[in-house]
Amino acid sequence: MYDKIFPPKRIALPNGKVVEQKRSRMPIVLVLLFLALYYSIQFTDFELSVLLDRWKEFFFIVFEMIPPQWDYFPHIWQPLIDTIKMSLLGSVLGSVVAIPVAYLASSNVVKNRALVSGTKVFLSLLRTLPTLVTALIATFIFGLGTLAGTVAIFIFTLAYVGKLLYEQIENVEMGSFEAMESLGMNRMQAFRYAIFPQVSPNFLSTALFCFEGNVRYAAILGYVGAGGIGLLLNEGLGWRDYPSVGMILFMLVITVFFIERISEHFRKRLI
Amino acid sequence: MGTIERQLYASPNHKRYFTFITIILLLLFIWSFTAVNLQNVESSGWEIASTIIAGIFTPDLELLLTFTTQGVPYLLLETIAIAILGTVIGAILAVPLAFLSASNVVPSPIAWLTRLLLIFIRTVPALVYGLMFIRVTGQGPFAGVLTIALISIGMLAKLFVDAIEDLDTSILESMTSIGCTTFEKIRYGIIPQLFSMFLSIIIYRFDMNLREASVLGLVGAGGIGAPLIFAMSAYRWNEVGAILIGLVVLILVVELGSNRIRGKLVRG
Amino acid sequence: MIEFIHVEKIYSNKVKALQDVNVKIDKGEFVAVIGLSGAGKSTLIRCINRMHDITSGKLIVDGVEVNTLKGKQIRTFRKRIGMIFQSFNLVTRTSVLKNVLVSFVPDLPFWRKVTGIFSKEHKIEALTALDQVGILDKAYVRVDQLSGGQQQRVALARTLAQQPDIILADEPIASLDPVTAKQVMDDFQRINEELKISVIMNIHHVEMALQYAERIIGVRDGKIVFDGKTEAVTQEVLDYIYKGEREVQQAVEGEQAYV
Ligand SMILES: Nc1ncnc2c1ncn2[C@@H]1O[C@H](COP(=O)(O)OP(=O)(O)OP(=O)(O)O)[C@@H](O)[C@H]1O
Ligand SMILES: [Mg+2]
Repeated sequence: MYDKIFPPKRIALPNGKVVEQKRSRMPIVLVLLFLALYYSIQFTDFELSVLLDRWKEFFFIVFEMIPPQWDYFPHIWQPLIDTIKMSLLGSVLGSVVAIPVAYLASSNVVKNRALVSGTKVFLSLLRTLPTLVTALIATFIFGLGTLAGTVAIFIFTLAYVGKLLYEQIENVEMGSFEAMESLGMNRMQAFRYAIFPQVSPNFLSTALFCFEGNVRYAAILGYVGAGGIGLLLNEGLGWRDYPSVGMILFMLVITVFFIERISEHFRKRLI
Repeated sequence: MGTIERQLYASPNHKRYFTFITIILLLLFIWSFTAVNLQNVESSGWEIASTIIAGIFTPDLELLLTFTTQGVPYLLLETIAIAILGTVIGAILAVPLAFLSASNVVPSPIAWLTRLLLIFIRTVPALVYGLMFIRVTGQGPFAGVLTIALISIGMLAKLFVDAIEDLDTSILESMTSIGCTTFEKIRYGIIPQLFSMFLSIIIYRFDMNLREASVLGLVGAGGIGAPLIFAMSAYRWNEVGAILIGLVVLILVVELGSNRIRGKLVRG
Repeated sequence: MIEFIHVEKIYSNKVKALQDVNVKIDKGEFVAVIGLSGAGKSTLIRCINRMHDITSGKLIVDGVEVNTLKGKQIRTFRKRIGMIFQSFNLVTRTSVLKNVLVSFVPDLPFWRKVTGIFSKEHKIEALTALDQVGILDKAYVRVDQLSGGQQQRVALARTLAQQPDIILADEPIASLDPVTAKQVMDDFQRINEELKISVIMNIHHVEMALQYAERIIGVRDGKIVFDGKTEAVTQEVLDYIYKGEREVQQAVEGEQAYV
């Protein structure tokens, strides 16, 4: 298409041969980018002058957080643990449920086309729902509290791990699967013994990675009443009690850092 | 049979390690169950769920198709605008930070400090930034842009660093051997390698930012989030349905597009 | 005993892979199937354990009419037939022993199927099978650390652990070097003679086929064009199988042609 509007440049070599060089798409990409930026600025009321004028406000809050209010710690401890528990439970359950769902979404093990594409569409729909929205809906159904948060994390994990898992399953070497079938196994058994061993290290690694992200994300779920430390964060910000907010963020950073270290350690060993 | 039995008992014993890990995991799992409090669950949960689902499947078509500032299309555009601007600003700021935290570019204390800063930036939830920026700009999409920019810095810089540390330095060696200056090495040896990788990372991040931008409205930082939350808290599920459908379609389309472009970038 | 009666196989893309195949193979025979690429050798072999369905005709294995079997019956039937592949088809990420133990899975109680924990008796049986192919010492090594020949032996052990009456082998030595190929063929011969297991093997390597098999079946374009004792295979027969030209056959008639 593009090459038709802007015909390729012809370069004649000294020996008479002609080489066609395709026109670079760079100019049109740049024009589009500038247009997008221009309209984005219009749409969002972006004003550099405001920013230059008032950026200090942001750091004003930051400096209020320092030093954090250390004796707020006892209040934080319980919700923080709750946040970790929520993410752990949601991640474990989500990853476990992701296995049968990914099985159903893999076109190389399930022969029913409709079932396979149905499951795939289901997974991508789940994945597009922002977790905070799922959490909010969950609070209407399961009431305020950690259960709603757990459900939201469960759904996100299911969608994320499920998608990565079925992609791996579909890329697996099918020879051993065939061999298992020739031994008299049914497809489910052949999956368990031929495909699962091939994908399981990656699966565990994905699940751990997802758990890492979930801890971080679970911290804001309390904001919509779905349990955990987000509730305190909401309160602290509402009351403009910035030293307490600073303490919460500090604890959060430490927790996330350690969980990342531990998970990274195990993920390195898996691959 | 002698050698066979000997082999049987020669089996390497991972059992203890596995049992240990399994028990720890099980304990953690059971422990995490204690967080779930069921007393808040309302008995009418199922009914509510079915009203919600019914509402979502009979979306408010008027809302979905009007082009005023209240309609879904406008709100989606605003969300996209927040994501685009935020991603671009974040990407521009992330590049120097990434170089400052790459251990093969700067001395390790500096790299280490920058990394610490980045971890901090990454961990603070987006909503908190949103509330802080509202103090700077007032409510509205402007605050959203700044929020998205800041969280993008954290994530992008991390991914950029990985790309920088994976640089293929053998090309630089061969350039040194033909007598290139440092500037030439950066211009022709490093930038071409990094450019497409960075671009691919940025496009991926744009995809993520769109999702983030769609919930920032919760704290008043613009985008489609605010009307969504209002509709939800007022139990107007058909409106929720209309907004969610718009959002889901947009995110799916952007994801498809971003996957294609990134696929092309990777294959060159 | 395996009996093909007017068997025909047409793939979904209209390719006629087998036409009017009539063959009878007795228990304990060592049969080599030869023919050009695409002739239908793999199809022939895979119909025997119902990895492919035949389109018409009858295929009878030990009194069972294969094409009438359904679901669970097929799987029970397959347990008696071992299969060896060109690319070994092992689970390379796990140990040799685990790969062999897999052959007991269809008969395990549910909890063992799920957890993959095997009893001591099964482990001993699996190790015995490994001993029969001479790689007992590799039992706990991961498969991807073995050479091709060793991997094919693991596959052979997996099949032996199944205690089959028949072994189907689809080009088992095609990806092995000549020396290793010979060792694997020796294994097949030993298994055939000592355990009285029938072996039906697709093979491109004609010399090997003539050296080890008792009987040769030649396939061309989905049809059986030769079926007889190995001693009866002459150069002209080979030309007939591979080139299908009667003229060639006449031309070489006078010469001393034996491979
Ligand atoms: N699954 C399938 N679907 C459709 N056609 C197939 C299928 N498998 C094989 N065929 C076709 O059937 C014919 C016979 O194939 P087959 O695999 O049996 O040949 P072969 O003798 O084993 O060849 P090779 O020596 O290359 O393994 C070929 O024309 C092939 O293209
Ligand atoms: Mg074949």
